[in-house]
Amino acid sequence: MNCVLEGNAVKAFGKAIHSLSRIGDELCLDPMSKGLALRSVNSAHSAYACFLFSPMFFQKYNLGPEQGSETVQCKLLMKSILPLFRCLATVERCQIQINTPNDRVKIQFFCRHGITKTHDLCFEESEALQAAFASHLCPNVLKAPARVLGEMVMHFPVSQEEITLSVTPLRVSLRNYFEGGNDHMKIMYTEMSLHPDEFDYFQIGVESNITFCLKELRGLLSFAESHCLPVSVHFGAAGKPVCFSVEDMILEATVVLSTLIDSESPSQPAETLTVAPRTPTRCADVVPESPGEAATVPAGMELVASSQGSPIEDPALLLLLHHLSEPHYQERANSTPASSICSLLFRAKSPESGEGLPVLACCSDEEEAEEEDVMMMRSPTL
Amino acid sequence: MPLSTQSQGDAEQYVLVASLDNARNLSNILKAITFKDHAIFSATPNGLKVTVEDSKCLQANAFIQSEIFQEYTIKEDSVGFQVNLTVLLDCLNIFGGSTAPGVSTALRMCYKGYGYPLTLFLEEGGVVTVCKINTEEPEEPVDFEFCSTNVTNKVILQSESLKEAFSELDMTSEVLQITMSPSQPYFRLSTFGNSGNAHYDYPKDSDMMELFKCTKTQTNRYKMSLLKPSTKALALSCKVSVRTDSRGFLSLQYLVRNDDGQICFVEYYCCPDEEVAED
Repeated sequence: MNCVLEGNAVKAFGKAIHSLSRIGDELCLDPMSKGLALRSVNSAHSAYACFLFSPMFFQKYNLGPEQGSETVQCKLLMKSILPLFRCLATVERCQIQINTPNDRVKIQFFCRHGITKTHDLCFEESEALQAAFASHLCPNVLKAPARVLGEMVMHFPVSQEEITLSVTPLRVSLRNYFEGGNDHMKIMYTEMSLHPDEFDYFQIGVESNITFCLKELRGLLSFAESHCLPVSVHFGAAGKPVCFSVEDMILEATVVLSTLIDSESPSQPAETLTVAPRTPTRCADVVPESPGEAATVPAGMELVASSQGSPIEDPALLLLLHHLSEPHYQERANSTPASSICSLLFRAKSPESGEGLPVLACCSDEEEAEEEDVMMMRSPTL
Repeated sequence: MPLSTQSQGDAEQYVLVASLDNARNLSNILKAITFKDHAIFSATPNGLKVTVEDSKCLQANAFIQSEIFQEYTIKEDSVGFQVNLTVLLDCLNIFGGSTAPGVSTALRMCYKGYGYPLTLFLEEGGVVTVCKINTEEPEEPVDFEFCSTNVTNKVILQSESLKEAFSELDMTSEVLQITMSPSQPYFRLSTFGNSGNAHYDYPKDSDMMELFKCTKTQTNRYKMSLLKPSTKALALSCKVSVRTDSRGFLSLQYLVRNDDGQICFVEYYCCPDEEVAED
């Protein structure tokens, strides 16, 4: 693959890499006919991000002859590529070439004053990882200018790991999330709420409280703010992944995060949180067995159209939508009988790969599982 | 200035007296060569030369001409001593190194000769501090035998363009390779790190290139650890000249403007790591 970006596009590209660096330690470059995708997954496989730049984003975009349906995905260390895109003030043009025979990516920066910087990075070939996420089956969809979400999360300290997003047809609120009941006195609780009017699009099919990792989202929010793009949020009940996405004419960016399973959600009996290690639980059923299930709106809920009169759009199909007819996910091998971050398992593109990818990291709160007084979100009252 | 009201009798005994209204004009330039504790001071009627060396492979010199000083008196042709540079810098900054405009530390540096300490009188806001730093027998600095007649390649660049490159250099590379040539790539800095190679090319007609005189294609490698300290001098400078001689020895000369706009020079000499054939 050979592509050329000019000045401002280089800065956007750099910002995308910076956002992806918040997710994982490795960056995958996936040149496709529909554009160049940059992806990253965290080690626990609980967060996934993808930035897809369409060919129009580039001054020039050519796939080599070896790239057909079987594309070469290059895996690079984030720490090798991120520093290259730090100081872009004098960069006028950037050329990226993926040279499969010698496993090298050549990134050339053509800067002011005739100065040229050339970087030859080694890459590993890897199978393409994508998260299949059926956003059109999500009962809840929010869309707001990036600034609105940015201003909400700004109130949480940078060290805040997880936050809980609670939605009812009347209110959207964000609060910080802490595990364990022992440190009540030391924690500062922050909660803020927004009225549905603040959103460009507001559809709540299922009242829910989802808890996810804020740190991994910040990168996308900052990217969206710098490009003044609205952010769409697709989600369902606790335990199901949440997807944040932005798009414009020439690029799309998505972050998919797993959420904590909520034992107290109305649709499950209120008992001690358990997780069945080997059988599929709700968290794994991102795409349900019967296609119509998730789309059913429980009695008492209603779809609230946007107050701005935006049409109820079919939630934008994510660029990641593949293999919808194969709705199964594998449960993470080491789930514990406690609240745990569900892992998404990614489908490899090449058919000869195994059924599932091993998850490398276990949940860190396994040890506290037994005594844990799970600080779960209050069930919303209807 | 209070420091100059010392009695005439005192002044008689010093072989070297150098005064500055603003001690930063000395301390800033010394910071550019502080990669080792000890420095060799060599004073002549022309001015002060301070030398720091590392393992006989790297040498840095800072030159402060006599004209920079408000007072510069030397009673011998050459006065030399060695002091701990870190201690000297601490003393020069004893008043906290405030950068508020109009506030500066005045310095009077005095030396009585062999066996005597270096005496510093520092004044700021009416408060005077006297520091006496022990001196040692000066070592003979290595003579790199770098002479202009032996120079094969020389370029002068505006520091701004090199500063960016040096700040981005891949530190996992053990060496910095410098290629100078009358043909492409003209002037190239290369690193070979864990994640791959990087090359920074400066064409001879770049407007950052003030002088380009390359007679022969040469590629030399220098240990990154040796050249790293030179980035301090680069940061202070506005221009830098890069020269290599027929043996591959490297001379970096930095033009530094001090707080008052006066010019001082810092130079670095470095031995090549090994003979390298053309890549």
